[in-house]
Amino acid sequence: MRNKFWYLTGVSLKKKIKTKWFLIANIVLCIGILLITNIDSVISFFGGDFNDDINIVVVDETNYNASAIFKESLNSTNILLGNESKTNIYISKDTEENEIDKVVDTDKILIVFNADEDVYVTAKIISDDIIDSIYYNTLIQALTLTKTSIAMSLADVDAALLTKITSPINIERVLLDNDVSEDESMNIIMSTVFPTIIMPFFVLVIFLVQMIGAEINEEKQTRSMEVIISNVSPKVHFFSKVLSANVFVIVQAVLLILYALFGMFIRFNFSGGSTISNGLTSGVNSVVEMLNSTGFMDKLIFIIPLTIVLLILSFIAYSLVAGILASMTVNMEDFQQIQTPIIFVSLGGYYLAIMAAMFKGSILIRILSYIPFISCLLSPALLVIGEVGIVDVVVSILMLCGFIFVAVRYGLKIYKIGILNYSTDRMWSKIFKAVKVKDI
Amino acid sequence: MLKVKNIIKYYGSNMAVDNLSFEVQNGEIFGLLGANGAGKTTTFRIIMGLLDANHGSVTLDGKKIDYKLVEKIGFVTEERSLLTKLTVNDQLIYYGILKGMSEDEIVKKMDYWLDRFKISEYKNRKIKELSKGNQQKIQFIAAIINDPKLLILDEPFTGLDPINVKMFKEAILELKDNGCSIIFSSHQMEHIEEFCEKLVILVKGKVVLEGYLNDIKKEYQKQNIFIQGDVDVSKLEKIAGVLEVVQNSGEYVVRIVNKDVVKNVFSIVSKFENITKFVVEEASLNEIFISKVGESYEK
Repeated sequence: MRNKFWYLTGVSLKKKIKTKWFLIANIVLCIGILLITNIDSVISFFGGDFNDDINIVVVDETNYNASAIFKESLNSTNILLGNESKTNIYISKDTEENEIDKVVDTDKILIVFNADEDVYVTAKIISDDIIDSIYYNTLIQALTLTKTSIAMSLADVDAALLTKITSPINIERVLLDNDVSEDESMNIIMSTVFPTIIMPFFVLVIFLVQMIGAEINEEKQTRSMEVIISNVSPKVHFFSKVLSANVFVIVQAVLLILYALFGMFIRFNFSGGSTISNGLTSGVNSVVEMLNSTGFMDKLIFIIPLTIVLLILSFIAYSLVAGILASMTVNMEDFQQIQTPIIFVSLGGYYLAIMAAMFKGSILIRILSYIPFISCLLSPALLVIGEVGIVDVVVSILMLCGFIFVAVRYGLKIYKIGILNYSTDRMWSKIFKAVKVKDI
Repeated sequence: MLKVKNIIKYYGSNMAVDNLSFEVQNGEIFGLLGANGAGKTTTFRIIMGLLDANHGSVTLDGKKIDYKLVEKIGFVTEERSLLTKLTVNDQLIYYGILKGMSEDEIVKKMDYWLDRFKISEYKNRKIKELSKGNQQKIQFIAAIINDPKLLILDEPFTGLDPINVKMFKEAILELKDNGCSIIFSSHQMEHIEEFCEKLVILVKGKVVLEGYLNDIKKEYQKQNIFIQGDVDVSKLEKIAGVLEVVQNSGEYVVRIVNKDVVKNVFSIVSKFENITKFVVEEASLNEIFISKVGESYEK
């Protein structure tokens, strides 16, 4: 004779996975992730303005050879910023007025240098259309560097000394407090890398809650719940739903990771050659390098397992609450309404995790990181930026375990009453009465 | 044998079942009747262990019903309790396994019953693609696939045409002959009269009538006389003990307070002309039900 718990779990899991919709959804997800991980190559493939060379015409009306200095400055600024767009600089002998006529209705950028008694040199940037903001900033930096160079030259500073003066400063960051486990560069991680990593978790939570609600409501609406519960206890039924939904979500998470790895494999092995791609690759490499230098990669040894434990426990907590709420509703519409607060709490946790780096030292955020549902997103974020230590994450885990214990102890009582209840009248009264029942 | 003893169930301050007791012997069909909201579904749920009674006990063959014992119980609910997205095959295997059966055993029984109910061709169809009648057949098969010792039938003939009702009746009688205790609930009293030896009528959770059907009919003294011919209704209505005379489908039905009135009616009717029918019958269960339930509602 089969174990009914494992049988129910298997059937529930099969109902979710062995469907054409699961297959279709995963094909779409796989294609989507492959495209996202190789988005620059995809964009390059279709082409556009970004592929064109940047043409700059320089009119130099000074006696300081500003155009040549600017050409050098722009090259060095491009290298410094990792800007790999190809720039062609033409030094014009023509007048400003004539060159403006040539710029109209083109992508050309006209730069005019004028001598100035007070500030040595001034510049005009003339273009027909708006210049890309990143490139505009590059131009400003190059122009500033040009002015500095001219000023230094006028002050009899030789070329070697000028290079030394204008080269970026070498910084060695030293932290005296050994307990501080990060440096300022973590802000970059928190604002760019972390939201990308935790976003799928947020989506999976929505998946989880929706699936449990839909399955329990289907059984209630078809009244097959009566037959099922007459053959297995509500406890067996409840845990089979929780387990199958969690297994499904973990399977889906693993599949998403595999799609992402496959996307990265394609990126690094087949999609080379694109200017954007190269730029991004070097960007990723520099972030990895920076993480290595700060010792962050070493900390992943404990950050990853703790985060996984938090995530799995949070999935269980979410599914328990979703199951309890679903048992109290009589149809999917009711469930959609009652589950909204869970989604908002999860969304709140997501925003807090992203913004954690902006409010360093916040006691409120630290306290919130212990709260179940929020902790799975916020606690690892705070651990990464060194706002909390391992002990705090362990506290978050213990809080989650405590919540799960309470949810099982009291939630099962509500579940037993709820699944055979087909009316929303006096719902809260029924719930409070159910909680007071001694045995289940 | 199913023994329901003094069960009481409250929902808040409302009493849903008030001190209900009855026994159903092996191989006996028991009728549980009542108007809507009388407490029948609550009683079924208590028997199935889905609800706990505030007081009283339910035993099957002397043992309290628990999750080991429910494997020997079949339950046809009033609504179709089927997972409509599953195929017939998957649905019956699903319920069969929940009843502790092996898959081989389920498939063997399933094939037998699908063939018997002439729906073998639907085995791999989804439940939602079937007609209401065929869905009802699947629900019935799901309830009896485990050869239950106790079978609860709540409105089992809903959505069935007369041919299928006949099929169901044969299957129910076969289960009865095999020693299965059956509790039957229906609002169609002719089915109850046909099947049940014993019954209980509930009104607002209280028992208003119980016992063997024959005894109930005997105790319920009112009778009906069916007459065909040229009848003077006004003369019949004047006879002491005649409650009413109604014309129904080409014949007159004379309702009398008890059998002693029959001879007085006969003596008057014998004077009329062209009398082709004079039949005395006990009151139908439908009349008894309406009379008892109506009285209790008025109270």
